[in-house]
Amino acid sequence: MTVPAPREGEQAAAMSLHGLIKRFDTKLAVSAVDLEVPAGSFYGLLGPNGAGKTTTLSMAVGLLRPDAGRAFLLGYDVWADPAAAKARLGVLPDGVRLFDRLTGPELLAYHGLLRGMDAATVDQRSRELLDVLELGTGNRTLVVDYSAGMRKKIGLACALLHAPRLLVLDEPFEAVDPVSAARIREILQRYVAGGGTVIFSSHVMEVVERLCSHVAIISDGVLRRHGTLASVRGDRSLEEVFVQVVGGRTSTGSELAWL
Amino acid sequence: MALTIPQRPPVSPWPFVKLKLRLIAGGLRGRPARIVLFVLGVVMAGLFAIGGYALFAVPGVVGDERAAGMLLQLGGSLLVLGWVVLPLLFFGVDESLDPARFALLPLRRRTLILGMFVAALAGLPALSTLAATLGMVSTAAALGGSGAAFAELAGVVGGLLLCVALSRAVTSAFATGLRSRRSRDLAVVLFAVVAALLGPLQLALLAGAERADWDAFAVLGDVLGWTPFAAGWSVGLDVADGRLWAVPLKLLIVAGSLAGLLWWWSATLEGAMVGAASNGSSGRTGDVGSPTGLLLGRRLPRTRFGALVARETRYWWRETRRRAALITFTVAGFFLPLSITLNGGSGGPAAAFVGLLAVLALANQFGYEGNAYAANMIIGVPGRTEIHSRAAAHATLVLPLLLLIAIAAGATGGRPEHIPGDLGLMIATYGAGLGLVLPVSVRAAFALPPSTSPFAMSSGGGMAKGLLTVGVMLGILVATAPLQILAFLLGDVWLWIGLPVGVAFGCAAYLIGSGVAGESLDRRMPEVLAAVTPGR
Repeated sequence: MTVPAPREGEQAAAMSLHGLIKRFDTKLAVSAVDLEVPAGSFYGLLGPNGAGKTTTLSMAVGLLRPDAGRAFLLGYDVWADPAAAKARLGVLPDGVRLFDRLTGPELLAYHGLLRGMDAATVDQRSRELLDVLELGTGNRTLVVDYSAGMRKKIGLACALLHAPRLLVLDEPFEAVDPVSAARIREILQRYVAGGGTVIFSSHVMEVVERLCSHVAIISDGVLRRHGTLASVRGDRSLEEVFVQVVGGRTSTGSELAWL
Repeated sequence: MALTIPQRPPVSPWPFVKLKLRLIAGGLRGRPARIVLFVLGVVMAGLFAIGGYALFAVPGVVGDERAAGMLLQLGGSLLVLGWVVLPLLFFGVDESLDPARFALLPLRRRTLILGMFVAALAGLPALSTLAATLGMVSTAAALGGSGAAFAELAGVVGGLLLCVALSRAVTSAFATGLRSRRSRDLAVVLFAVVAALLGPLQLALLAGAERADWDAFAVLGDVLGWTPFAAGWSVGLDVADGRLWAVPLKLLIVAGSLAGLLWWWSATLEGAMVGAASNGSSGRTGDVGSPTGLLLGRRLPRTRFGALVARETRYWWRETRRRAALITFTVAGFFLPLSITLNGGSGGPAAAFVGLLAVLALANQFGYEGNAYAANMIIGVPGRTEIHSRAAAHATLVLPLLLLIAIAAGATGGRPEHIPGDLGLMIATYGAGLGLVLPVSVRAAFALPPSTSPFAMSSGGGMAKGLLTVGVMLGILVATAPLQILAFLLGDVWLWIGLPVGVAFGCAAYLIGSGVAGESLDRRMPEVLAAVTPGR
């Protein structure tokens, strides 16, 4: 996979969020999140369900208008200069929002042409991605009939097709079988080694611990910890830190006695 | 572990009604726009109820039995037809109680059907229909005293039950037909049959009206009185006329058709509860050329615009809601002008109405694919390109249909010289409609429930769709009124200049509207996405 070389004088931060705030009705979903994602890092965004991970990432990639704050991707303001920011960005959105009444090859061709790539390149890269991700180059099943794991993989293929500088992935390993997960991990690691930046959300500690160079922990819309994996984890396991930060409830052994 | 299996409690339909009311209330909470829609819906239902009551009560007030027979039987039949056709064409079905949600609960089918049926009765359309038909009771009371009034009351209640059951059964059956890819052709036939049921009645009505032949009307009404369409509505009049023997027979007709319809509904409900299981197409593989070739075919350009148009065209056939809209338009589009020209009527207004019907499917175009629009936003497709591509895909499907409809209407009406002028009017209305509907689709997008039925509407959604539709129709009629008048005034000259003038008018309206829509979309993309995302 080829990743274009960084431009001369490109900022160190691949993604930079300043004071992002989002309110739904009366609930404060994200309150003043500041985050710097260094270029070339493998960044894990950790948090329990409903913590605001998806909301934060949606605002960062231009899908959800923030109530306040700014978001920069590779130095471009997402809300002021969306075209420049989006051209260098690949996204796997939550729930895999895709045009799922197309077949896998059709969907890749659609994404490639929308990105302004020429047809020959689109065909060549699509075949390669379908082959590597074991989706089948001649598969005429509609994406809506894919299994959950296959949907993640076709979504990832769409995000990778134009060789972006930054990948934003929402729960890329959720509902994916171990074999496909290993394949996705391998591809992402190679992508980061080639100079790309990955930021992904998850609530699976093992995956984050194994892959990431940096982590951030978010709960109730507030960024609790962030930095390199070593600095956040200290000498404990990531899971211990996470449960302590998020404030999970500890079992007394007396509840649910009727079970 | 102590597992106790609770005794199955007797289930009454009331929990379903309560659940529905609570869902409606929950849907309104904290959403001023929906509250406004809801209030508008209440007002319109109230107007319909009052107007209907007044109309049906008139024969009683003037004491005209013959008029009562015609009005109650014919008007009642039209009411029944309205309950079948309006949900299919315009409003959808309030599916706040999605049958799929009950699939895992230990409910017997009988309980489920009864509950859903009673819940369907607890809605504005059913209540306003009941209020309107109470006018029939007042007429029966005036003509035949309290005995007739009681009989008519029973008939009216039976008629209402029949209306609701018929509407549910037909939409559910049509939805089931559309859902499975194998039997979609069957669904087309089914709908054609439903539409064809309208045919004889409409023809007879028009023929009768033209000759002011009231006897024909009276005979038609009496015949309908012995069909499920009007059996319920006419029992009070039979009592007033002393035909007591007819009452049990007619009530039996109503009860029998009601039972049949509920059985039919329950049969198709099974499919709705199991959901859209994929069949047939899965796992088909084969060596089939390049990905871009698969998407674009041979003719479309290998560009951003080409890809957008190709995806949109595929969606008109592969997505059930859109397919339903397209099929409905095709059937209605052919049927309407044919029935009018066969009666020797003028083709102009019918032509304009066909162009208008075509465009209605785009009023909530962003709602069709749910949050998949996010994919285009991430890539950053400009609003203008998005709008033009969607209109282009729709036009490639609709314009050939309009041509066929114009030819068919002109040929069967025996006036082929009117074909170009009618086609011009259709294209003008279609263009003006696009110009109006495209900005509306950006400003007034709303989420459709992720249900398997193409007619499903969330609570309040049916009202939104209906109001949107009526508003857009009025707007288009106003916008094309000058052209209609021109066509009427010019007479034979219009036959020659109709097509070019219509095309020019349509193109101009489209360019203005699409420009407005494109700019508006550029500013509002995140808002549109939020509006069409289900469950927010």
